[in-house]
Formats: sequence, structure tokens, C-alpha cells
Amino acid sequence: MTLALIVGVLVAGGVYLVLQREMLRIVLGFILLSHAVNVLIFSAGGADRRDQPLGDSPDLATTADPLPQAFVLTAIVIALAITIYMLTLAVVGRKDDDTADRSDAARADHGASEDALDIAEVARAHGLTPEPTPRRED
Amino acid sequence: MLAALLGLVALLAAAAPFLGRWAGRPGGWPLAAGLLALALWVGLAPPALGTSWFLPWIPSLDVGIRLRFDGLSWVFLLLVLGVGAAVLAYSARYLKRGPHPGFYGLMTAFAAAMTGLVLADDVILLFVMWEFTTVCSFFLIARTSPQAQAPAVRTFLVTVGGGLCLLGAVIATSVRTGTTQLSAILEDPVWSQDPTFAAVIAVLVAVAAFTKSAQFPFHAWLPDAMVAPTPVSAYLHAAAMVKAGIYLLLRFSPAMSDVLTWNVLLITIGLVTTVMGAVFALQRNDLKELLAYSTVSQLGLIVATIGVGSSAAIAAATLHTMAHALFKSAAFMLVGVIDHQAGTRDIRTLAGVGRAMPWTAAMLALAAASMAGIPPLLGFVSKESILDAMWEGSGAGWLVAGIAALGAVFTFAYCARMVLRPLPGTRPASLSGMSEGGFWLVLPAAVPAVLGVLLGPAAWMLDGLTSAGATAAAGSEVHTHLTLWHGLTPALFLSLAVYTVGALVVWRAASVDRVLDRPLFPFTGVEAVAAWQRGTVAFGARVGDLTRSDAPARHLAVPIVTMGVLAAVGAVGVTGLGDLRDTSRPFDWVLLALVTTGTVAAVSLRSRIGALAVIGVTGFAVTLLFFTLGAADVALTQLLVEILTVVVAVLLLRRLPRRFRRIPRSRAAVTGVVAVIGGLAAAVATFALTGRRGLSPTGEHFLLNAPDDTGGSNVVNTILVDYRALDTLGELTVLGIAGVVIYVLLESARALPLTYRDPVPVLRVPATSPLVDAETNGVFNRTFAKLGIPLMLAFSVYLLLRGHQNPGGGFIGALVAASAFALAYLAASSDTQRRASYFRLIGAGILIATGTGLLGFLEGSFLKPLHVDIGTLHLTSAVLFDVGVYLAVIGVVVASLDLLGGWPAPKQPTGGTRTEAPDPPPDPTEPAPVPTREPVTTGAPTKEES
Repeated sequence: MTLALIVGVLVAGGVYLVLQREMLRIVLGFILLSHAVNVLIFSAGGADRRDQPLGDSPDLATTADPLPQAFVLTAIVIALAITIYMLTLAVVGRKDDDTADRSDAARADHGASEDALDIAEVARAHGLTPEPTPRRED
Repeated sequence: MLAALLGLVALLAAAAPFLGRWAGRPGGWPLAAGLLALALWVGLAPPALGTSWFLPWIPSLDVGIRLRFDGLSWVFLLLVLGVGAAVLAYSARYLKRGPHPGFYGLMTAFAAAMTGLVLADDVILLFVMWEFTTVCSFFLIARTSPQAQAPAVRTFLVTVGGGLCLLGAVIATSVRTGTTQLSAILEDPVWSQDPTFAAVIAVLVAVAAFTKSAQFPFHAWLPDAMVAPTPVSAYLHAAAMVKAGIYLLLRFSPAMSDVLTWNVLLITIGLVTTVMGAVFALQRNDLKELLAYSTVSQLGLIVATIGVGSSAAIAAATLHTMAHALFKSAAFMLVGVIDHQAGTRDIRTLAGVGRAMPWTAAMLALAAASMAGIPPLLGFVSKESILDAMWEGSGAGWLVAGIAALGAVFTFAYCARMVLRPLPGTRPASLSGMSEGGFWLVLPAAVPAVLGVLLGPAAWMLDGLTSAGATAAAGSEVHTHLTLWHGLTPALFLSLAVYTVGALVVWRAASVDRVLDRPLFPFTGVEAVAAWQRGTVAFGARVGDLTRSDAPARHLAVPIVTMGVLAAVGAVGVTGLGDLRDTSRPFDWVLLALVTTGTVAAVSLRSRIGALAVIGVTGFAVTLLFFTLGAADVALTQLLVEILTVVVAVLLLRRLPRRFRRIPRSRAAVTGVVAVIGGLAAAVATFALTGRRGLSPTGEHFLLNAPDDTGGSNVVNTILVDYRALDTLGELTVLGIAGVVIYVLLESARALPLTYRDPVPVLRVPATSPLVDAETNGVFNRTFAKLGIPLMLAFSVYLLLRGHQNPGGGFIGALVAASAFALAYLAASSDTQRRASYFRLIGAGILIATGTGLLGFLEGSFLKPLHVDIGTLHLTSAVLFDVGVYLAVIGVVVASLDLLGGWPAPKQPTGGTRTEAPDPPPDPTEPAPVPTREPVTTGAPTKEES
């Protein structure tokens, strides 16, 4: 019950943050979401047995499942690497870490021609401005 | 022999670009000679009918390069090679002087593709060759001029659409019949046993052929493609592109001629096309356009005849295909000659061509007469047999023949128009330079025209060829007796009626022109295709707009909303959950309160550093939770990760604004609703789907066997380094790659400047305070670091080594060591110090882990741990593997500290000289910024003092 509530709170907070514009908020949301998933994996292993899986003769009735623990341990370290990577992304932007969509504005500036398959336009878009080729025959 | 034939044509195609480049325009002669030689070979000494050849291609699917030669292949091979030879010879004089590698290469490749098409006995090969002709025609049209690109694209789209239909038919039939061999498919009993299947395939094949042969409503591309040079048009119209559609219909005729859908579709579309094309042709003033619509019309006639399906009809269609190839190739080339000499092909400006160019005019008149079906030319024989076969056909044969005759009336009229308007009379002053083209220019065009004359009275010479072709296409033995005079048949009376009415139309040409000189439809076919094309592209752009965004939020919302939908479905559909075990402990509620506090604060704070700090509250609460859940290793890892995350994030905060933007109310509302739904879904799903069973069998196995299997009693660690070491190795690699990616990212895109240009708060401290100067400010840290770092490093090694038995291990040890490096970094008074070369650490870690894995081969498999007992001391290679983990993780963290803390982004991974200009020093008039660790004065020591 408590684990489910913790997962719920973490997911709600994480989702809210990853849907914002600043990269740092998205990173914080990502951290919350990874916490949520880790708790979920623990919950899947069962939270009624909580003894450390240490020693040579564990009591199966009270010892925690070691498998989710191994999964989560791996997940935490991977999440650290991804977090650092995302933090790096936050500082290589143009001005700050705003991720607002620039593509719409860019398209509007481009001024597309009426003919959707205007080859000259495609070439311009790729930085190639072909010389008009003379007719080869006739 | 078949392979040799195809190979020789392909060889010509391969040589053509070089000939075209080196020899220039005359390069057409050797190519024409090559094709002519092959045509003579096929014509005079053909392989035995039924010869076949096989080369495996995709054996697992039973697809092969199957070639087969029969009567139908014979007829079309002669057309492809013969007309190809004439057109290439013509090109040798028609083209401008200069190199023509592309033109000759594509034309010969076109001939090769057609050769492959008519020889293919494998439906996959047939499809490939079919598409190959499409590609050849696209390039031949598109390379003409920039204005030709739009027509070329339209042609390509229409014919590729048909190609997709053919692909559908090919796949459906080969799946149904279990073979890709065309001749076997056509003999399969499925065509008579399953009428529905046969009807579907009939429609698919017919549509494919209609697009290729420019039948209504796909006819627009053929006149559109008139932008191509005349030799291309001549070949496309007479023997290559459009004849591929006719070939396909004839090829499938044995299986389809009894399918009613096929008959009705072909006859209807064919008749509509023949009348429509003829009327359009009568409207045109451009001779080339007139001929283009004439092709549409003539092909419609052939399609309708194939649709009739009787042996006589198939024979008539075969014969007319040959006749059409002769008169159409001649007509195109001759119009090209007129265009070449006079500089125009508009019949309103042309006059007196007959006087100026008597030979060309005579030949054009012969070709037109054959096209009009006037005796004693070959066109008359073929048209008579068509009308005859239609009249005799089952059902309303008289109606079919009558409509075909109506088309013939208009055909007669436009043929007369293209001869009687430009040829007679005297040459106007504007055409004073017009004179006969050279002998070698007219000869290739004259040959087919003259053949059309000779083969009329000598039609019996075509008996063998026509019979063989019709036998293959009808599926039963056919013997034709071609002759000029058939007696007083209905077809003859129809022909006489055609001449009479046609002559009337010609006589009243002025009135007819007036009637026809207007658009017959509100829009043209080309406009329709262009509109459809624009619509498709616009629709695609709309679809793409849904995901064409740089903003992560738009992409992230999709899986989150999907999760909500999944939860809704699950809430309704999932039943039979087990009993919930009592899992909550009182302290859990405290942790829940802590997690909630941290999360709410992180969501609502606008200060970046504040949000970073409070997210730590959540992290520590989760750490505690892991500890209470019996996971000491996980809790330790989480704790260290929390610390390191904050260290790295703080390094970056300097480059960002101090505060987040205010979230607009609308966005907050929408994302808030999504967040609450997501949280609810996650909570309900966690509650419903977990915590309802006992220990997992795998977990039980590990708990019971780990000490004996591995000699370690920390079961989690044994899973990481013994049982599931391959996972861990993969994880190390991911970590290493993350380090490299961060480096590459910072190298390619420079980081933002170190101090974000915000209004910087004035630090209200006395000038004498140690806080003003970074050097003195760091005294405490440096002193602690001197003591702490060696201790931390020693402790990390201890944790690493004891990990197999007790909480610890490579990950935890590495994170402790990384914390030590972080402390060293934070305590340093300057950024110029560079740490150990982290890429070597990462590499060494991965190498050690992999090497340990390779040692496992001694015991039989990769990563199998080795055990050695020395007295009471138990050694295992798993610890060595953990050392690899240790080194790699340290490397990644040190890399990120070094790369992200640097100023500016370092150019060298291991230090060295910096080449980039530093950011401008702070403006002295601005309030003093919060001291950063950068040396403010140049005299500051660059190394911490020892």
C-alpha cells in the first residue's frame, strides 16, 4: 500500500516535471521517474520479507528477494550515467536550457513553395543550388 | 542461349555510357548494330520454343533467375531489339554533337530491362524488370531539362502505383500456388477453382498494365512525358514502356481469359480509352502530342481486343502490337525529323513539307496510312482482324466492334489531319531554311514505315510469328492465315463505314475543329495527377507534424498518455488478483511523507539550486526505503549516486539561469492533469499487480545456492558478478559509452558560458570576509580533503574487496572513490588541474572485466567464475571482475566531473594547453559576482599548496 502510494507520488511529480520546458526540470523529473521504477521493482519482489539477503543460511520466510535488488542496483548506476548525459544536454543549448519547439518557426521562415516536389526547393533546403542544366537533346 | 542473349544486351548497356562519352553522338551506331545483330539472331535463328534457363537467386523462397522463351517472348523480343536498333541509329544523327553517356546508357539499359521482362519466367524477376523499366523511363524523361522533372515525377508515381498492384498480384499468386515460376502459376488450377481470387488478381494485373500502357484513367502521363526527346518517345511508345503493359496482359491471358471481371474490365477500359484518345488526338496541333494521344488510343484498342479473349482476338492483338510498333516508331522519328529541320512541329505553322522534304513526307504519309488502317498496309490487316475478332466475340460483339469502329473513325480523321495539314502546299517564308534531313537520319525512320507497306500484301510472312505469339498468349494452338482479302466479312463493311464517316469528318474539318477547340473536361489528367500528388504530400506533412518537434514534452506525453489508457483498460479487464500480503510497516508512512514533501517542493520551486536540493530529500527518503526493504547494497548505491548527481548538477548550474520560468497556467493545468492521471495509474497498478505473491522461484534459488555456487554470501553481489555477470558487463560498456558521449557532445557543441548573464545578487559581506576570495574560502575543504581523500580511497578498496561477502562491491566502492575525486575537485583552487586520464580508467575497467570473462573459457564458458582455494583463503575471479566494474565506474564519474567542471570545455581529455579564448572578464562596473572557483586575479596560485 505505502509502496504503491510512493510510486504514485513519484510518477505524478516526475511526469509533471518532464512535461515542462527547461531541460533541468526534465532531468529532475527523470530522476523522480527512475526512483518510481526502482520502488516498483522492489514492490514486485514483495515488501513483506525485509531481511538482508546475506549469510549462508537465510530464512526464506523473512529474507528479501535478492533478484530485484540486483536489478535496481544496476538500474541506479545506469540512471546516473543517463542523468549526467542529460545534464550535459542542458548546457549545450543556444541561450539556456529551454527546449521549446523551434522547428515550427524555422519552417515558417523557410517559405515553402506551392509545388511540394519542387526539386529546386529541395536542393536549396539541402544547401545545393544547382545550375539550370541546358537541354541536352533537340 | 537465353542467358547469353540477356547477357549480351546487358553487356551493351554496360558499354553504352562509355561509347556515349568517347564516341559522342556516333556511339549510337555500334549500339544499334549490336541490337540489330541480336534482333536478326532472334528473328532468323530463334531458340526452340519452350527453351528455359535457371539460376538460383533466393533458394529459400524458391526465387530464381528463370528465363523462358516462347512465342510471346519472341514477338516482343523482336520489337524491343528491332525498334531499339532503329531508334539508336536514328539518335546517332538526331542528337546534338557531343558526349551522350547518360542517354545511350539509359536507352540500352531500357532495352536490357525489356529483354529481361519478356524472358522472365519468375514472377519476382518479372516484377523487378517491370520496375526497372519504370526507373529507366523516369531518368530518360527527367534528365531532359529542369522543366521535365515534374512530368518525370508524375510518370514515375503513376507507374509505380501500378507496380505496387503488380507486386500485390505477384505475392498473392506465389503464396497461393506455392511457386514463383510464372509458367507454372499460369497453369495452376486455382484460376478456375477460385473465381474470387482470380477476379482480384485480374483487377490487380489489369491496373498494373493500365498504368504502364496509359489506359484511362491513368493515361495522362504519356502525353505529359512528351517533354522527353523524340528518340525516347519513339522507343517508349513503340516498343518499350507502354508495350510492357500489353505484354503483361497477353502473358496473363491464358489464365485470365475466362475470368469475367477481366473481360469486362479490359473491354470497357480499352474501348473508353481508344475513343477518348482518338478524340484528344484530333484536338492537338502539336504533332508529337497528337502522336502521344494516338498511342493512348491504339493501346486502348489492343487492350479491348485482349479482353475479348478468343484465340482470334489474341492473334489480332498480337498482330496489331507489331503493326503499331512499326508505324508508331516511324511516325515519331519522322515527326522528329520535321521538328529537327523546320524547328517546329505545330501543324498550324507547318506547310509545304511535302515539297521541301519529299522523302520524309512520303514516309510519314505511309506510316499515317498504316495507322488509319488503309489497305494494303499492315495496319489494315491488323485492324480488320481486330474488328473481325470483336464481331465474332461472345456477348454483344457487334456493340464492341461498333465502338471500336467509332474510335477508328476519329483515328482516320487525325491521321488525315497530320498528313493533309502540314505536307501539301507551298513552304511559307518563315520556314525558308527547311530542307530534307540527311540520309542517315531518315533511313532508320523509313525502314519501319516501308516494312509496314511490304508486310501488308505479304502478311503471310507474319503467320509464323503471330501464330507462335498467339499460341503462347491464348494457351491453345493457334494458326493464323493473314491476308489482305478476307471476303465480304462484317469487318470489311465496318471498315468501309469507317472510311466513309472518316472522310466526312475530314471534309468538314473546319467545323470539327471548331467543335473540338475547347476543353472537353473541366480539368486535365495532368492536373488531376498533380493535385493528387500535392494532396498526398500535404497529408504526409500533416501526419509528420504530429511528431515533428524539438520539444521533448510532446514526445514524452505519448507514452504517458498511453500508460493512462492501459491503466483504464486494466482497471476494467483485470480480475482474479491474489490476496494482498501485509506489506506496510509504520515507518513506511514517514518515508511516504518525506517523498511527498520532496516531490512537491521540487515541482513547485522556481529556484534551480533549490529544486536540486529538495530533490535530494526524495532521494534520501528512497534510500532509506531501500534500506528498510532489506537492500543495504542498493541503499548505499543510491546514497552515493544522490551525492554525485548533486555535485555534477551544481557544476552545471553556473551556466544556467538562476530561476526556472514561471509555468503558464494553461500548461500547468494540462501537464498537471496528465501527471495526476499518470500517478494514479501507476499507484493503482502497483497496488493491484505487485505484493501478492511469495518469494520468486529465481530469488529462492539464488538465496539457497549462492554461497555454495560462488563462495560469496552477499547474494546481491553474487548475482551481479557471478550469475548475471554478462548483464553487468553490458552495463559497464553503457557507462563507458556515456562518458565518451559526454566528451564528444561537449567537443562538438560548446557549452554555454560559465556565468549566465542574470542579474547577479550582491553578496552582502564585508570586504575582509574570506567568502570574497575563492582561495581563502576553500581552506576548509582543502584541509579536509588532505585527510579525507586517502581515507576514502582506502575505504573504497576495502568495500570493493569485501563485497562478495558483505555489503559493498565494485559499484559501491567505485562511487565512494568517485566521491573522493569529487571532493578533490571541489577543493582544488583552480580548474587547470586535470585528473587521471579517465578514458584509460574506463578502458581498463572494461578490459579487465572482459578479460576475466575470457578466463571463464578455461572452465567452459564466457564469464564463468573460477575458484581457487589456498588453504583457508578462498579466491574467485568474480572479485577480479568486480575490479573492472570499480575502475569503469570511477572513470565515468571522473570524466563527467572533469568535462563539465572545466572552463571552457576542455579540448584535451587529459589536460594540456587550452587554445580557446576564455570568456571576457566580468565588467568591473557590475556588482561583484559571487566568487567562483576561477582565479579572479592572474596572480592566484594555480595549484593547491602542499
